Amino acid sequence: MIENKTPLILCVDDEVVGLRVRKMLLERAGYRVLTAEDGRSGIDLFASQPIDAVVLDYAMPGMHGGEVAKRMRQAKPTVPILLLSAYVGLPEEVSSLVDIYMTKGEGAPALLQKLGNLLSM
Amino acid sequence: MFIEPINQKESRGRVELKRFEQTLRQAMILPIVACLFLAAVLVWQIHGSNVTVDRVEQSDQRITLATLIEKLVIDEETGLRGYQVTSDPRFLAPYHYAEAPMQQAIARLQVIATPEQKDALAQFATEHQLWHQTFAESLIATIGAGGHADNDDVNLTGRAEMDQMRSLLNTIVSTSQQVRIDRADQWHRQTRQILAIFIVLALSVGIFISLFTRNRLEHISAAFQTALNLQRRRAEELFQSEQHLRTTLTSIGDGVISCHVDGRVELMNPIAQELTGWIESEARDRPLDEVFHIVNEATREPVENPVSKVQRLNRIVGIANHTVLIRKDGSEIAIDDSGSPIRNAAGELTGIVMVFRDVTMERRTRAALLANEKLAVAGRLAATIAHEIHNPLDSVANLLYLLQQDPTDEESKHYLEIAQTELTRVTHISRAMLSLYRESKAPVPVNLKDMLEDLLLLMEGRFNALGVQVSSDLPPGVIVEGFPAELRQVFTNIITNAAEAAGQDGAVTVRVIPQKAVVKPSGDNTQAGAVVEICDNGPGIAPEIRDRLFHPFFTTKGERGTGLGLWVSQGIIRKHAGSIQLDSRNEGPDRGTIASVFLASKPVIDLGGD
Repeated sequence: MIENKTPLILCVDDEVVGLRVRKMLLERAGYRVLTAEDGRSGIDLFASQPIDAVVLDYAMPGMHGGEVAKRMRQAKPTVPILLLSAYVGLPEEVSSLVDIYMTKGEGAPALLQKLGNLLSM
Repeated sequence: MFIEPINQKESRGRVELKRFEQTLRQAMILPIVACLFLAAVLVWQIHGSNVTVDRVEQSDQRITLATLIEKLVIDEETGLRGYQVTSDPRFLAPYHYAEAPMQQAIARLQVIATPEQKDALAQFATEHQLWHQTFAESLIATIGAGGHADNDDVNLTGRAEMDQMRSLLNTIVSTSQQVRIDRADQWHRQTRQILAIFIVLALSVGIFISLFTRNRLEHISAAFQTALNLQRRRAEELFQSEQHLRTTLTSIGDGVISCHVDGRVELMNPIAQELTGWIESEARDRPLDEVFHIVNEATREPVENPVSKVQRLNRIVGIANHTVLIRKDGSEIAIDDSGSPIRNAAGELTGIVMVFRDVTMERRTRAALLANEKLAVAGRLAATIAHEIHNPLDSVANLLYLLQQDPTDEESKHYLEIAQTELTRVTHISRAMLSLYRESKAPVPVNLKDMLEDLLLLMEGRFNALGVQVSSDLPPGVIVEGFPAELRQVFTNIITNAAEAAGQDGAVTVRVIPQKAVVKPSGDNTQAGAVVEICDNGPGIAPEIRDRLFHPFFTTKGERGTGLGLWVSQGIIRKHAGSIQLDSRNEGPDRGTIASVFLASKPVIDLGGD
């Protein structure tokens, strides 16, 4: 029952290694983690699972992070979304869709802190 | 300056010639006509005169016949008188003899006599008959019977009849004479008239001919003067035209050298003199090779000059690329030239004209543009590569964080392995990027699979950002010779274009198709090599811009493009003796663009190239 109270995080990224490392990092921080390697399976998981927060990569083949975030918002508008990007500048219409966005180079502590903030809101 | 069109001049010249011929014809025909008219009038007049002469002769004949009849009558009477006096029948011989000729003469005179004379003649015949029967025959009978014929009454009657006959004959003679005199007068008048008419007509014809000839000669003289003026004007126009052309030639911004058909220099414009360093008077009649010495920029081999090329091919020729002109003082300038045959109206080669210009600045500009495009490609790739490096670096940073969180030994080992892999990836990317700009001096074997895989790896982030699915079919071991850095630049360009055209959810396929050497029936050989096909399923290229795709500064990307990508790519592929082709469809199931680049396995590389 305690496990149920641990937040369930959905990580979406086409970079397999990066995704694996991120999962390990979040699990070490005490979260439960689900992963998806592209936008479509991410949306499916988001719809079927009680996701508490999403860590989403922007640059992905097929459907980019902005589009994925838009669809997730339509399905469950209250779930916070953190958008990760290798680019520094994201288009305005994408950054306004998500709760927070950060670049990949900011490091693990920053990611964990921002995710913590999102979940405690 | 107005130059009358040649055909107008010619038509005017033809008109002049026609008029001149017409005048000549008139000057020949009209005197003949006048003389014929004169002759006709004379013939008519002489004919009239001949008729008169005939009539005079007729009158003479009448007179002769009437006189003959009179003589015969006298003979008859004389014979009769002698017989009357002597009773000797021998005296009757003239009497008897006269009978037959008289009848003949009367008959002949009857034919030609005038009506009045005919009446008189008829009366004479009657009288003669009467005299003959009533007087002469009875007298002869009386004397023959031995009687006397001294009866005065009878004799007087005979005498009166004879007088009557003579009077009739005299009338005939005298009227004939009168007629003859009249006709002779008429003949004289006619002769004078003919003479007068002849003189008048001859004078008229003479005056007419002289006036006419004078008039025609004036025409001819005027026509000649016109022709002369025309000729003078043409000469003037020709001179003006030549001056005009000469000015054009000297003002032209390109060097122009015209040569005789044997290749000796005929004329040089000032630019040609400036570029070659030869002055026209020195260069004239020298062989062109001496004045216009050209070599290949890279190989220093002499290049065939356009004039001998034109002599050989007998058509307009362009120049080989990368030609350098060695000036009289030994300095060099890059030039671009062409030669054209000069032909006469019969199409025979009469000379060769060569046009050339200094392209040193142009070549420098081109080199600068190429360098610029290289930088632009590098810039575009840099963003992609930053993204590519960012991902593994992020993983490594996360792993380092995990290592700080007191992991177990096993975990640490695992983290370090992953970090190692990720750093290897970073190294790979940076090496691929470095090789993109490593220049090589000579062509080297390029493995197309390795090169394209490297490129696709570098561009992965870009494809992801664009939302494009990239697939490839790259068989191993396909090797072409070339400059790897340049070929990478070409394929980066074309693949980027394809990905941008395909857009969100689009697909790009990169394929290598090895190609064997084929000898076609047409005699064209296909070289062995490979075709690299880059297909996208984007909207295709609008038909109206397809022609301009390979032009420099043509771009559909606005601020994001330099417009040099395809132009440079084409230059590079041509240098590799390959070809680049775009096939595009705007609708249908196979919508999209296929860019096919052919590269030969062993190309003859154009080393003079940029």
